[in-house]
Amino acid sequence: MLFNSLTFVVFFAIVLALHNAPLPWKAKKVNLLIASYVFYAAWNPPFVLLLWLSTMVDWWVARRIYETDRQSRRRALLGVSLAVNLGMLGYFKYGGFLLENWAALMSTIGVTWTAPGWDIVLPVGISFYTFQTLAYSLDVYLRRAKPADSLLDFALFVTFFPQLVAGPIVRPTQLIPQFQAPVRASRNQLLWGLGLMTLGLFEKVVIADGALAPAVDAVFGADKAVPFTDAWLGTLAFSGQIFSDFAGYSTAAIGIALCLGFSLPDNFRFPYAAIGFSDFWRRWHISLSTWLRDYLYIPLGGNRKGWQRTQVNLMVTMLLGGLWHGAAWTFVIWGGLHGFYLGVERFLQGRYGGAAIAKSFGFKLGLGLLTYFLVNLTWVFFRAQDFGTAWSLTGAMLGFGAEGAELVLGSHLAIRVVAVTIGILVVHWFMRNRRLEEVVAKTPWWLTGLAWAGMLFAIVITQGSGNAFIYFQF
Amino acid sequence: MPSSTSSSEPGGPGVSPTPVRDADPVIHRPIPDVRWPATAIVAVVLFAVALTGWEAFWRSEQYVPSYGNHDGQWAEARRRLDRPEPGATAFIGSSRTLFDIDLDVWEELTGVHGVQLALEGSNPLPILTDIAEDEDFRGLLVVGVTPPLTLMPGIGARAEALERYHKETPSQWAGQKLSYPLERSFAFYNFDTRLFTVLDRQAWWPEREGAPYQEPEVRKIENMRRDRQADMWNKVEDDPAYNTIVTSTWQAILEHLPPPPPEDVARAAFEELLANIARDVEAIRARGGEVVFIRPPSSDWFREFERQATPRERVWEPIIGAADAVGVHFEDYPELSDVKTPEWSHISSRDKERWTRSLVGILKQRMAERGINRPEMGT
Repeated sequence: MLFNSLTFVVFFAIVLALHNAPLPWKAKKVNLLIASYVFYAAWNPPFVLLLWLSTMVDWWVARRIYETDRQSRRRALLGVSLAVNLGMLGYFKYGGFLLENWAALMSTIGVTWTAPGWDIVLPVGISFYTFQTLAYSLDVYLRRAKPADSLLDFALFVTFFPQLVAGPIVRPTQLIPQFQAPVRASRNQLLWGLGLMTLGLFEKVVIADGALAPAVDAVFGADKAVPFTDAWLGTLAFSGQIFSDFAGYSTAAIGIALCLGFSLPDNFRFPYAAIGFSDFWRRWHISLSTWLRDYLYIPLGGNRKGWQRTQVNLMVTMLLGGLWHGAAWTFVIWGGLHGFYLGVERFLQGRYGGAAIAKSFGFKLGLGLLTYFLVNLTWVFFRAQDFGTAWSLTGAMLGFGAEGAELVLGSHLAIRVVAVTIGILVVHWFMRNRRLEEVVAKTPWWLTGLAWAGMLFAIVITQGSGNAFIYFQF
Repeated sequence: MPSSTSSSEPGGPGVSPTPVRDADPVIHRPIPDVRWPATAIVAVVLFAVALTGWEAFWRSEQYVPSYGNHDGQWAEARRRLDRPEPGATAFIGSSRTLFDIDLDVWEELTGVHGVQLALEGSNPLPILTDIAEDEDFRGLLVVGVTPPLTLMPGIGARAEALERYHKETPSQWAGQKLSYPLERSFAFYNFDTRLFTVLDRQAWWPEREGAPYQEPEVRKIENMRRDRQADMWNKVEDDPAYNTIVTSTWQAILEHLPPPPPEDVARAAFEELLANIARDVEAIRARGGEVVFIRPPSSDWFREFERQATPRERVWEPIIGAADAVGVHFEDYPELSDVKTPEWSHISSRDKERWTRSLVGILKQRMAERGINRPEMGT
């Protein structure tokens, strides 16, 4: 069920009404759990079985891990959780990719082998909820947290519909305690939650789908080489689209949870105002970057084993982070580029970080623009369907495009991309060191009401065609 | 619980060291301290005023509430064929079949309310194949032929409708049901009045030198009912300026069609098309169903274009020959030709009743000549 659908409007109204009805807390939690299964089943009912499997395995594993001090048994139990969760992910998401690459590898040594058809539907959000349940078992294994006391609370943590299919990837210690005592949103929480939902849907429906998607589709779907200007316009459009789509989802998810009285963490903090790549990853998909940090980078040794090992750990983390997004080498390249950027930044920071010029405003602004430029180059690999398109667009963006390449965007799309991109950058730089809540608190209430009405009106008259959020495919 | 991670890397991979961290604590989101009730009231009131104005504007432009012809509506209609007994009549084709047939008149004359599955800008042959592969269908299938579209590879503009029928999720099904009350209530809830569609068609956009040719968007030309009966919008018939927009759109689209493939490639593709038609018609007949073909009228520039690009003897006649089926071409019957087509391609809403009566009569006669008796035609 998409947030930007009429089905969700009715679904959420029912959930909200039940949550505010005079019922015992346990009944309300059962309602939320059933609602979450309905929310997920609305895509494909049989896939609810995967949720149950993931829930039951990690519930059982974490309790057994907690009860024993024998390291070998703890490790074996953790292995069960990893095997089930990563096995599910591997089967549904990477099975076809692995077979294709195996066939390609065989052909390089002269063995002709055709991979069998792998026409399997990817369960929506599987990358998100498997990481979330893995975090639970890992936290218990790492002795960072106790297992949940109640299966109901744990099942709700795994399944909680606002963030089930595209995050934020919430840690058990952030959410499970919130289910333990009765909560109901205050009037102000409810209204602010509705405001955040409106903002999130505005980003998704109006900016991502309405304003930017046509230019992205035209450039990345072009069947011939595109020139410098249109390659950049298409990439800038995707840069804005992917942010507005995913941050829009996260904002709406946070708002929905808040309407029910629950707090979810931020997932984005105006990333296009990042100064450097460490800063970028503190602002972009925060719940994934911190997950990778805590459960992959640090267990690999983090930065505790010398410079070279740190660089390797960074690269491995980012390559796997890239692969998490999709079963394609283009995503691996995307992750690899980010790993490379982070490594170079770390090197330069160690050598020149203390220089006086590094603290000047002009330097920071230049570094911010350089970061944005380099991030855009990575988006080409993220969005392109194949390497041919990615190389062609990257070449065009760097001035090595084909001679005589024809424009693909009309003036209306080109102007729209420029206007929206400038708007996004201005907002991100203005908000760089601010929180949305602070800005709203300082804005006259009638102006907030006016902006809210404007966004609602724009959402409705855009008449979104119900496109799925981009991150659902991951 | 003690931490065993000894983390010195907060903030993401590669970030500079800070102290050891424990499990992430519960977050309490701050709520901006503003006058929320007043803010919400202002938002709701302004939203309501703006939306009312938007609706009033489009109504002043003669837009009226109409069903949206969405993929979900098509899928719902398609599901009406999912019954394993004879008695169903379905229409497939492109917009001419969609606009020209009056389902009420058809029912009056045959006793069967047909299932309208024609899709604008689309080639019906993949739909024919889909129905031929559906073991449940044993009724009468009326296939509308619009030569330029029938020769297209794939379905064309509305390919997602068939995919929706096969893969519709429970959420999409419910969304379509919830959409119907809005579609029949609001004139602005229409593909032609979407914000970015309206913005894109404005004349204020400057020329971009070297920009590609932009095919004009097809404007609204019909109002649709819940059963997918579509009637030509009276603005197309009565407003000369709007009528010119529509006809110039047809002209622009046809003048910018991609160049035809080489002769041998085109011939091979057409041979394959004929073989597929023969196979599909045979499959339906083998289950007890029947297929007939119709060629609805066109006029003026559009008709002349069709004569040049897809002459009857090279497209229509071979199709009917391959199908070995009843085929009714409007040129063969004065009563089917003597209708008004205000924008060259679809019958005026005022003439469709008469045209449908004539068509049903002719089909009954032609089917009787071939000894075909069908319950769907009341024979």
